[in-house]
Amino acid sequence: MIQSSGNTALPMQYALYIASAFGALALFMMMPRQGYNPRKIGALIGAMTLGALWLCLAEYLPDTLGIERAAFAYYYIFSFLAIACATRVITHTQPVHAALWFVMMVIASVGIFLILDAEFIAFATLIIYGGAILVTYLFVIMLASETSDAQAPQHTPIYDRIAYEPVAAVAAGFFLLAVLLTAIFTPLPSNPDAHSPSDSQIIASTLTNRAARRLAQQAEFDEIANLPTALADNRSLDNTEHVGLDLFRSHPLGLELTGVILLVSLVGAVVIAKLRVEPDTAEPAPA
Amino acid sequence: MTLHTASWIPWLPALAAVLCGLCCIYRPLRILAAPICILSILAAFVITCCTYSNIVDTDPHATAHVVKLFTWISVAGFSADMAYYLDPLTMIMLIVVTGVGTLVAIYAAGYMAGDRGYARFFAAVSLFIFAMTTLVMADNLLLLYLGWEGVGLCSYLLIGFYYQKPSAVAAAKKAFIVNRIGDLGFALGIMLTYQQFGTIQYAPLFEILNTQSPSTASTAVQVIPFLLMLGAFGKSAQLPLYVWLPDAMEGPTPVSALIHAATMVTAGVYMIARLFPLFELSPYALPTVACVGAATALFAGTIALCQYDIKRIYAYSTISQLGYMFLGLGVLSTTGAMFHLFTHAFFKALLFLTAGSVMHSLAGQLDLRHMSGMRRKMPVTCWLMFAGCLALAGFPFTAGFYSKDTILADTLAKGLNEHNRLYILLAVVGLVTAFLTAFYTFRLWFRVFMGPTKYDMGDEHAHAHAAQEAHPPGHSDITVEHHHDAHEVNWLMNAPLVVLATGALLAGYLAHNWLPELVLNSSATPAHLGAQHAAEHQTTLFGIDLHLAMMIISSGIAVLGIATAAYYHWLNRPAADRVAAQWPSLVRILANKYYVDEFNNRVIVEPLRLLGYLCFVFDRLVIDGIVNLVGFIPSLFGLAIRPTQRGNLQGYGLGMATGTAVLVLIVLVAYA
Amino acid sequence: MPQPIDPLTLAHFQMTAAILFVMGVIGFLTRRNLIIMFLCTEMMFQGIALSLLAFSRFHLNHTGQTFVIFLLSIAAAEAALALALVVLLFRRKRTLDAQAWTQLSG
Repeated sequence: MIQSSGNTALPMQYALYIASAFGALALFMMMPRQGYNPRKIGALIGAMTLGALWLCLAEYLPDTLGIERAAFAYYYIFSFLAIACATRVITHTQPVHAALWFVMMVIASVGIFLILDAEFIAFATLIIYGGAILVTYLFVIMLASETSDAQAPQHTPIYDRIAYEPVAAVAAGFFLLAVLLTAIFTPLPSNPDAHSPSDSQIIASTLTNRAARRLAQQAEFDEIANLPTALADNRSLDNTEHVGLDLFRSHPLGLELTGVILLVSLVGAVVIAKLRVEPDTAEPAPA
Repeated sequence: MTLHTASWIPWLPALAAVLCGLCCIYRPLRILAAPICILSILAAFVITCCTYSNIVDTDPHATAHVVKLFTWISVAGFSADMAYYLDPLTMIMLIVVTGVGTLVAIYAAGYMAGDRGYARFFAAVSLFIFAMTTLVMADNLLLLYLGWEGVGLCSYLLIGFYYQKPSAVAAAKKAFIVNRIGDLGFALGIMLTYQQFGTIQYAPLFEILNTQSPSTASTAVQVIPFLLMLGAFGKSAQLPLYVWLPDAMEGPTPVSALIHAATMVTAGVYMIARLFPLFELSPYALPTVACVGAATALFAGTIALCQYDIKRIYAYSTISQLGYMFLGLGVLSTTGAMFHLFTHAFFKALLFLTAGSVMHSLAGQLDLRHMSGMRRKMPVTCWLMFAGCLALAGFPFTAGFYSKDTILADTLAKGLNEHNRLYILLAVVGLVTAFLTAFYTFRLWFRVFMGPTKYDMGDEHAHAHAAQEAHPPGHSDITVEHHHDAHEVNWLMNAPLVVLATGALLAGYLAHNWLPELVLNSSATPAHLGAQHAAEHQTTLFGIDLHLAMMIISSGIAVLGIATAAYYHWLNRPAADRVAAQWPSLVRILANKYYVDEFNNRVIVEPLRLLGYLCFVFDRLVIDGIVNLVGFIPSLFGLAIRPTQRGNLQGYGLGMATGTAVLVLIVLVAYA
Repeated sequence: MPQPIDPLTLAHFQMTAAILFVMGVIGFLTRRNLIIMFLCTEMMFQGIALSLLAFSRFHLNHTGQTFVIFLLSIAAAEAALALALVVLLFRRKRTLDAQAWTQLSG
């Protein structure tokens, strides 16, 4: 159905625009501000909007999703979690809490990664984002916090308590989202030429002695475990092997350059950290 | 010694100029500037003499030699080499320039002693000698022009030598600007020459010119002499471009002697003599030169009668004598013109330098009315100046007598031969001017040196002080001890004057056979001279040979002029005042130099100022207005866009997000 | 070897990615705390990573996943430098307010 419709606008797009508008309203209501904060109502509207949108879209879902139905159910769960956590990240007045909500968002999106059969990336992201980078952020938040009593809301700095021009920001953001959704829901067919070569092709062309080596390893293992010896190895390549092969076979230059960038940023961070900076006393900080 | 050595003549002074310039920078070396300058010019003089013997003595009918140094400009069909054209005419000029230059430089070493700009002065003088020798040795018109402008520049630098004095600065600017007017004509003349003849080198040019005559020459060719003439009149201070020379006396006196009397101002005479074949192509060019010369001679001579500033009297005298030279050129008497140039260089340099001695001794006093009877204080200077005055007045058998007589006789001969009243009139004008010359020259001399000793010191005590300090103790054989009083100058300054005085008295007699022959061997030979010579020898006046008659007449006039001056300004000074009182308006006009400066101010300078002011206003209002408008429009745009650049990070982010959305939308719409 | 996913399935994943990205943008625009602003850029990265992975799955091509590895490295490098700069700015003005740094205004 979708393939046949081509590039023309679908009826669901109106649902997308309406949902964008409601989402904008919901997010605007959740923004921190002085005075009355209808945060709960906003959250409710947002959740309802998202649910209604999914129900609308479910009408158009074809029988063959390409992934299992059960896995797609997990998509809804993780997606909702990720969006909800992302909302909390940008609406929470406490930087530390925002960072923790960000970890939650990372975990939820990692779930989506798993649905997309990207196990290596999923766990790498979890470790790097949820672990290393976020720990760094938390360190810096604590290092650079102004008040000793960061938990008391009244002592939170004003720039954390009040959103800056929420109307313009939300309008611009959801305008961008609506445009992006229009592009996203004008889908194009999968390009078979883009497919990676099949596992057997890769094994035949690159990993010629893989089967023999695996057999030897297996035999060693079996000897220790006292198991009956396997006769042949015809297992397909796993995700990590795929990514590794792609990385090292197709993008060696990019890999090297990434190494250089990391080194440069390391040196840069060290240099910046060693700079001696005197507090700017001439101009008191506006807050 | 080959002719190539001659190319050292300009370049030694050029080297000296650089070295003196270095001495300017490093003050302890300042005293070396004068020896460097003198030696370089002396060396140039020695080389000149050697080259002279090489060219002239070995071959009396020598033609021109060209010594090429290097290719200067060579562009498709146009070429101007750094090459030197050596012929007898060049040699005469070189002898004058380097000879007088050496003597003046030696004098200046004493005169300028103690001056703050000592090294600067000698750097400029060396540079001047370089430019002047380049001018006279040039092989083509462009190199001539280079030297021409070079001497103009040095003249500017040296007139404005005392740059703290506003009058000196104004005089320097005046000289430069007036010369620009003439040089514009000169430059146009060179361009037209190239356009008409396809070459600006002398040798090919003269070959082409030999094939042409006034009847075959095109109008454009006949215009060239008038353009070149303009340049010559500017440089040699002829009517109407003479106004800068009297003011140029603001420079140091040695400069007046060297540049503004002996050498640079004669460049115009030299140029016309050099390009004489070109001038002969126009039937009106040479008569014009003659008329302007005679008019200038009389005009400047009358002004000199009523001036009181010694140097200005000599300046007007120089203008007057240059007028004689142009008169000589105009009546085809190139020999007379060059002869007068040669002798004039000696006696006018002598007169200026002796005037400088008087001024030096009287601490800058230049006014005739404030000095009298100086012969007791400065006996040597007195008799040196007397020699110069005799020569200038044309007293029999002095230098000026021979040369001036040649010009006047040739003028009269031309008039009588061609039965042309114009030339007879010009000869009479010349004779009247000769009388005036004798009168004002001796008026000055009698006023300064004769009569009761009485003088006022000038106001340049610092100068006198400095000069005194600079004299080494053992050297001051004549300088008086009490330096505030008038004193004889030392022999460092007087020695060159003695040489010049000898020249002023004897150069005419010694050179009156030798020099004309040289001139006739050069390009300055009139085309139909043979016929004129033949006619001239038959011309008689009152039954005797014309030359002899003219000698007798002019001697008489000179003696009469001297006698008149002696009566009115030595023996019976009140009589002079009585005569002046009878024609007060005439005296006022002469004393105010015919109001020419005032007239120029009214008619030329002020309208130009007004025009300049109008241009200024136009520039401010219209041009600047347009420019400012052009500048204002972008700033208007900037005013509109500025709020987006508040340095607000979130503002930038908002713009980026919106912009991205719009871009994606455009892509979507375009590909939908 | 898995099957290619349906374009509409892809659109769902892309929608989530777009929402995460836009949340990052809005967070960047509304928060004035420099650290949280950088955190929001990390959130934008997360959305982009999700988008890349979805395309990888859609086209059955692992280059998308390789790109996410590059993206992670760049994000790490950016976080290191950005946080170092933020600490520097904080030491200078004793505040994390982005509005305190408007000297670049024209």
